[in-house]
Amino acid sequence: MLLKTADFMNYDHLIVGGGIAGMESALTLGDMGYKVLLIEKEASIGGKMVLLSKVFPTLDCSSCISTPKMAATSHHPNVTIATNSEVEEIGRNGDGTFRVRYRRNCTFVDNAACTGCGECEIACTVSIPDEFNFDLVARRAAHIPFPQAVPKKAKIDLRGASPCSAACPAGVKAHGFVSLVRSGKYEEAFHLHMEDAPLPGSLARACYAPCEDACTRGDLEGTVSIRHIKRFMTDRYYGAHPEPEYGPPEERLDKKVAVVGSGPAGLTAAYHLARKGYPVTIFEAAPEAGGMLRYAIPPFRLPKDVVDRDIKNVTALGVEIRANARVESVQSLKEAGFDSVFLAVGSGEAWTMGFEGEDLEGIVDCMGFLRRAYSGRIGDLSGKTVVVVGGGNSAIDPARVSLRLGAAKVVIMYRRSRSEMPAHDWEVQAALEEGVHLQILQNPKRFLGKNGRLTQLEYLSMKLGEPDASGRRRPVPVEGSEALMDADLVVLATGLRPATFPFAGAIEIRRDETVNADAETLQTSIPSVFAGGDAVSGPSSIVEAIGQGKRAAFYIDRYLRGEPLDGTTFDERLPVMNKEAVIGRGPVSKREPIRVKEIAAGDRVKSFAEVEGCLSENDARASANRCLDCAGCSECHQCIRACPANAIHFDMRSEERTAEVKSVILSTGFRLFDPHEKPQYGYGRYPNVINAMQMDRLLSPTRPFNHTLRPSDGKQPNNIAYVLCTGSRDCSAGNPLCSRVCCMYSIKQAQLIMGALPLADVTIYYIDIRAFGKGYDEFYEQARGMGVAFVKGKVARIEEADNNDLKLFYEDIEGGGGTQEVEHDLVVLSVGLMPNKDVLKLFDNGDLAADPYAWVKEMDENLYPALTSIDGVFVAGTSSAARDIPDSILHAGAAAAQAAAHVERRRA
Amino acid sequence: MKTEGNRSLAEVLRDEMVMKDRIVGLLREEPKTIPELAEALGYPSHEVVLWVMALWRYGTVAEMKQGRNEEYFKYTLSASH
Ligand SMILES: Cc1cc2nc3c(=O)[nH]c(=O)nc-3n(C[C@H](O)[C@H](O)[C@H](O)COP(=O)(O)OP(=O)(O)OC[C@H]3O[C@@H](n4cnc5c(N)ncnc54)[C@H](O)[C@@H]3O)c2cc1C
Ligand code: SF4
Ligand code: SF4
Repeated sequence: MLLKTADFMNYDHLIVGGGIAGMESALTLGDMGYKVLLIEKEASIGGKMVLLSKVFPTLDCSSCISTPKMAATSHHPNVTIATNSEVEEIGRNGDGTFRVRYRRNCTFVDNAACTGCGECEIACTVSIPDEFNFDLVARRAAHIPFPQAVPKKAKIDLRGASPCSAACPAGVKAHGFVSLVRSGKYEEAFHLHMEDAPLPGSLARACYAPCEDACTRGDLEGTVSIRHIKRFMTDRYYGAHPEPEYGPPEERLDKKVAVVGSGPAGLTAAYHLARKGYPVTIFEAAPEAGGMLRYAIPPFRLPKDVVDRDIKNVTALGVEIRANARVESVQSLKEAGFDSVFLAVGSGEAWTMGFEGEDLEGIVDCMGFLRRAYSGRIGDLSGKTVVVVGGGNSAIDPARVSLRLGAAKVVIMYRRSRSEMPAHDWEVQAALEEGVHLQILQNPKRFLGKNGRLTQLEYLSMKLGEPDASGRRRPVPVEGSEALMDADLVVLATGLRPATFPFAGAIEIRRDETVNADAETLQTSIPSVFAGGDAVSGPSSIVEAIGQGKRAAFYIDRYLRGEPLDGTTFDERLPVMNKEAVIGRGPVSKREPIRVKEIAAGDRVKSFAEVEGCLSENDARASANRCLDCAGCSECHQCIRACPANAIHFDMRSEERTAEVKSVILSTGFRLFDPHEKPQYGYGRYPNVINAMQMDRLLSPTRPFNHTLRPSDGKQPNNIAYVLCTGSRDCSAGNPLCSRVCCMYSIKQAQLIMGALPLADVTIYYIDIRAFGKGYDEFYEQARGMGVAFVKGKVARIEEADNNDLKLFYEDIEGGGGTQEVEHDLVVLSVGLMPNKDVLKLFDNGDLAADPYAWVKEMDENLYPALTSIDGVFVAGTSSAARDIPDSILHAGAAAAQAAAHVERRRA
Repeated sequence: MKTEGNRSLAEVLRDEMVMKDRIVGLLREEPKTIPELAEALGYPSHEVVLWVMALWRYGTVAEMKQGRNEEYFKYTLSASH
């Protein structure tokens, strides 16, 4: 029985670990009528046995005998299985029972719906080492653990939020579209973007790209060029699709929404509301839609045909945009029959600075200048001197525009130092390259004119004083430093004012003239009116405004459906991945970011042509391939599209659970010896040195390769060596114990190789062969008879020969003595079984005793097998010692009997 | 060829998503062994094994029937490609 949410919380027995031992104990206890909770940390029960090829000495197919047991366990009415679950703590209650706290890790797949068809795996764009094939092959982020998995359900390997995606205020899945571009799925990348934000062309050019600031690769040789990748996919899509491929949604709702302002916030809210079926009308005061995209950002950064195409993504849904339609009151919209209003009027008005002479002709505010420049009302500036006052991004654009209008000299005057300039450094740099002069630590005092027209400005030098509220040092005028400068045009880029004054009487406006809207819901003091973008946040960024538009659409929809606005969360994000941990996963080869071509500074001031170029297809894919897949799954959503059962849901979350139990059986199994710890064998360096678990996979019917092939080049090996006792009986490896199974599994594999690769020679290098069980010695003799060579010799080291073959140096114990050198084309390290020490941490008081080798201690192995140091806690299978499968099953039976007796004794 | 200085497994696997189209292109010309693909791609054969086996696993490529004395399989595009 698989765990469902409503399952009860009391069980007779808890079993930790669903390998062969855990399943055996669970079935035995379940058959006796006890209620059993079986917790398994992996996505499937079955442990390591189900992954083996065959079992010694019978050569029965391992998965064929495991799978019925797995099915029986999962169908048993008394056994409840929690896979993907981790025990966090087991505490002992005063009455001798136990309290278990465990975590059900989210798989993002609804098990009730998933049919295990595997379509998600085929669609997935992220390739990850397959732990169930011991890293021999790739799996996908969306994966079914292995073909016989129980439950056979997909799982999405999403470990948190990738830093790039987590940083996006609009919730754009940066990692997702990067991953799609890497896979060559360019249209899919565009469509993924459109799930969150409808203006990819504009963002690709003018977004400040917080994703790139957050990118893990930025801590190495340079961030992934996420914005350029977006530019590539969007340009390609727009090139192929001059018009959107969709029309208005079929379902039209009857509630109407008015959006005031057609900047990114307004367009985005309209887009998301229209997709839900609401009729939306956008009212725009300016002659054309786009807000700052059209009237602030210059065409050499954002061509206006791109803005037009972006806006088509919104209007194709049936959104009506009324231009030259300034809204003067909320009431008028109500009267016109709108059920809800979204105010997204931006922050594009000018503050008056109060300089003497500020009203002279020839002095303009930033937005006024840009609007007039783009509409042709400021023509040729040839021979003129232009002074732009300010240090933000809004100062850079007028300066660069002035150069393009032919100005002889363009100065940016800023009252603090360069490092305090709020403008992005790359923007300042671009302006300087083009020939803009920067005059820092200077500020106008007054403007002088003749016949009402500006001729000169008087300015002061400044010095930096104490830090102000913003933390930046306050500029203080240097007394007596007044100087004069000739100027034909002054652009005051000293801050932008929210365009909220028409609404001041109706809704609450803050002192800085932004709208007082709820931070979560964006609702204003009038419940049907919501507000967002720069009108609420003050001057911010396109992507912040898009994020607010999307948020507003979410809450306006709830409002119009009569649902409460609290008790829900919009866009709940997973915890962001730790970048250091991502970098710590392994070495990353140096790959410098690919730069895009730009028009040379000298040429670009001659026209308004777009400065930045687009990545080529190859460069875009190579750039995307610098991504480190921080969170595993990229959230590219291909699996969602591919899944015929609609089983994948990224809003699922992990859950904390508790249960009360009367006894505990620990069957957490063993850990394989990691042969990296014996560097002289070259494991991890030489592809043809593998471990025995990998060889078992290569020999199994569900093998990772199409045949038993060697990993260096896919050749069928014909001269294979086994190195026994790798990590066992070896004090230098910290394990003096014999692992009991390595001799026998190596002999098993040797026999299987003889069948699979009839031409191959197999040599087993051993110290002595331990064939102690029933039929084991016969099995060994059978292998000798088949022609397996047994060489008594201790392998000292392995080196690689030129063709990826291997040179083995061994101490010849039986033959002539001395060190011998032989060549093989594949070497299998017969690794030992090590204790799984994690189990020792499960108990809150640390009472679980270990033996001197860190296996769970059995207090009296001879008389009372399976009893641990804690009354009521038992151990089964390889948690307490290396055991083969028959012995593990036997031991698990003993543990079940002891656990049952414990419960009965307490009942009596 | 020796394989000292290997790239990390995770990095090699990430490359699959870019290399797959080149491999498909090469196999469309004619079936090839792993060493032949490695030669054509200019990448170490142990990396190419990882890419080809992933493509095999998810159904893009298939192995050809092999002659008795051939050490290497030839791979081709599977019927659905
Ligand atoms: C290469 C190789 C070949 C072998 N071949 C043979 C063979 O042919 N014949 C034979 O008899 N034996 C063979 N063995 C030995 C065999 O694998 C073991 O005897 C058997 O798997 C032991 O079963 P187990 O249930 O004790 O442990 P495992 O199979 O290790 O199962 C333990 C389970 O517990 C889970 N778990 C661990 N910690 C937790 C936790 N904290 N919370 C929840 N779940 C947890 C694990 O994910 C796992 O599913 C071989 C071993 C190796 C390495
Ligand atoms: S969202 Fe994309 S990367 Fe993640 S599992 Fe689905 S297909 Fe794979
Ligand atoms: S490395 Fe990739 S997933 Fe990680 S932050 Fe950068 S782009 Fe995002």
